Amino acid sequence: MRALRRVRQTWGSVWCRAWEGNEHQRTAQRAEGTRNLHICSALVYRQNGAHADVLRLERMALPPVDKHCVRLKILAAPVNPADINMLQGTYPIRPTFPAVGGNEGVGEVIEVGSDVTSLSPGDWAIPVGAGFGTWRTEAVCDASDIIKVPKDISLLGAATIGVNPCTAYRMLHDFQPLRPGDTVIQNGANSAVGQAVIQIAAALGVKTICIIRDRYDIELEWNCCRRAALFCHEILETESILLLAQEVPRPKLGLNCVGGPYKKLNKASQSIPKQKALIFKNIHLRGFWLTMWKRDNRKDPAKLQAMVASLCSLLQSGRLSLPRCVQVPFGDYRHALDMTQCAHQRKHVLLM
Amino acid sequence: MEVQHRLRLLSRIIGMKGPIICRAIVTVTQRSGQSYTVGRHLPPTWRGGASAGWCRSFSDVSARTCTALVYRKHGDPPEVVQSENMELPLMGEKSVLVKMLAAPINPSDINMVQGTYAILPDLPAVGGNEGVGQVLEVGSQVTSLKPGDWVIPRDAGLGTWRTTAVFNEVSLAEVPRDIPLLAAATLGVNPCTAYRMLSDFEALKPGDSVIQNAANSGVGQAVIQIAAARGIHTINVVRDRPGVQQLSDRLLAMGASHVIKEETLRQPEMKDFFKKCPRPKLALNAVGGKSATELLRHLQGGGTMVTYGGMAKQPVTVPVSSLIFKDVKVRGFWVTQWKRDHAHDERALSEMLAQLAALIREGKLTAPACSEVGLQDFRGALDRAMQPYMSAKQILVM
Repeated sequence: MRALRRVRQTWGSVWCRAWEGNEHQRTAQRAEGTRNLHICSALVYRQNGAHADVLRLERMALPPVDKHCVRLKILAAPVNPADINMLQGTYPIRPTFPAVGGNEGVGEVIEVGSDVTSLSPGDWAIPVGAGFGTWRTEAVCDASDIIKVPKDISLLGAATIGVNPCTAYRMLHDFQPLRPGDTVIQNGANSAVGQAVIQIAAALGVKTICIIRDRYDIELEWNCCRRAALFCHEILETESILLLAQEVPRPKLGLNCVGGPYKKLNKASQSIPKQKALIFKNIHLRGFWLTMWKRDNRKDPAKLQAMVASLCSLLQSGRLSLPRCVQVPFGDYRHALDMTQCAHQRKHVLLM
Repeated sequence: MEVQHRLRLLSRIIGMKGPIICRAIVTVTQRSGQSYTVGRHLPPTWRGGASAGWCRSFSDVSARTCTALVYRKHGDPPEVVQSENMELPLMGEKSVLVKMLAAPINPSDINMVQGTYAILPDLPAVGGNEGVGQVLEVGSQVTSLKPGDWVIPRDAGLGTWRTTAVFNEVSLAEVPRDIPLLAAATLGVNPCTAYRMLSDFEALKPGDSVIQNAANSGVGQAVIQIAAARGIHTINVVRDRPGVQQLSDRLLAMGASHVIKEETLRQPEMKDFFKKCPRPKLALNAVGGKSATELLRHLQGGGTMVTYGGMAKQPVTVPVSSLIFKDVKVRGFWVTQWKRDHAHDERALSEMLAQLAALIREGKLTAPACSEVGLQDFRGALDRAMQPYMSAKQILVM
């Protein structure tokens, strides 16, 4: 009898945990039967770890739309390396659990709260800061958490404008005053940020010297950039340096992402060859993190708006074209996340 | 009068111009050691002569040569530096004749002789970039200095390891004579470096902290004292060695807030340390390598590490995460560059020297422990200056 009770207790506790685990789904199901509550599908994680272990596609109830809130239908959201780091728990931003993955994307406004004046149904918008959770079909957020973008840029352009092109823009504007004829040097030029740097710099009349690892990294789509950029192999032979020195002025600004990707943590270090560069050449060594810039400038939305407007204008005029992406249906998210962790892959964008 | 008449006759006979004859006479009298007063007796038209300059008086010919520590090639300082008797150039209108009183041997002086410094003078060159001298004589157009004034060089590369020198007025800055000689001799490089690093990179308020390695160096000790005068805490990192306790006591007595060993900096206990002491906004690095990386680790987010030396001859390793996520700034400082950038603004240097002199008078800034060495014993001084853990700065006294 006692043994049976223990079995029932054991099974009971298992059953209770299962019951809790499905609670949100039952809420979702109850909500479906209730007016004014919407349901979405989202990629949710409740602990850090490898995406295959911790990320689940789930149905979630959305909160009601308050007077200062907006309901968005997410259209497309890329998978960036920082998103993977966040899942793994290796990124400086730790969202509270359960969390929805994805920090970047574009959505269409479906519904606005009564006090919202900056957005209207039908507008396209992108998140302002990191941690939004864009890998979902719909979201309800504060109107100040998103910023409007024009609808006449491509969907993929809008989905991938908020992080990499913005990083490139800020690095080109905030560290050294650059004038037409100046030069910038960068490594990792094949990255999304690297390609944006070439094109935004070109629009400013600034040439870019790009250090690349493998010659086959250069894609045909870069032909339009070739006039604006000089490509050099990573191992800069003396002749290349001498040729470079004749062709362009010494760079005023160097952009580095080789110590790992821009947001790689911990183990990767950047050594400075000698103190001489710091002491005698007065080189300034700085880092840049777009998320921190957005936080520091949260009170001044005009700066972000100006930057996004400037980038959208470059997109519209064709002077900025974003790297070709691989479009992945939302349900095939596992493939997209797998590919993002491999080298030499194009950016994968989830379509909702 | 008779001299003037004879010189005119001579010039007509041999067809040479007056000033050329004067120069010839000067050279002859210098070589023969004769005392001969020419200048006062010559007509005004024979004075001047833009290229050679004009001598006021030859009454003291021995002032026109000097003993100098000269090197004709780069190499190991005790081997390549030689004591030589040198002729001084003629005084020009803007010239100042300076009797050197004392000149230290700094690491950058050693590097210059070795040929590893960022700026190298043409060879042969006189060693030494810092020191204090007394003005003996000034040219006719010199307005800012007079005989008796104490002066220090405004720029590097002047060559201070010598008994006497003729410098241009613009190369010199006056320092007050009521500060100790050794303080004046060591004022222009290290205290100025400390002053600028504490002033130009982070806005520091009383109660803020600064962390530095090589705390026992000339700059390090100046940082401790200037910071203390401003109410700024200093966390001072030194290498372990026999007698480290006495060293620590000496730095604490000077105004250091904390003295810790390099090894301690790497311990997890530092977390507890920063519970009672605010994390530093500014880190000053003269070592490089692991030591610099450790300083960076403890820096407040958004803080700056300024590198002014590389004693370990190892690169500075900066973790990427510090740059990106902690937004630390990594900068360098070179006081010579600062002086050159501010050369057009004389007051910038003068004001800094005046403030440092004021601290010296108040007893809040003292010269580092020095070892005075006669110029003739320079070889031993150079040798000692190149030894590690050398606690006393070698100062050549003339």
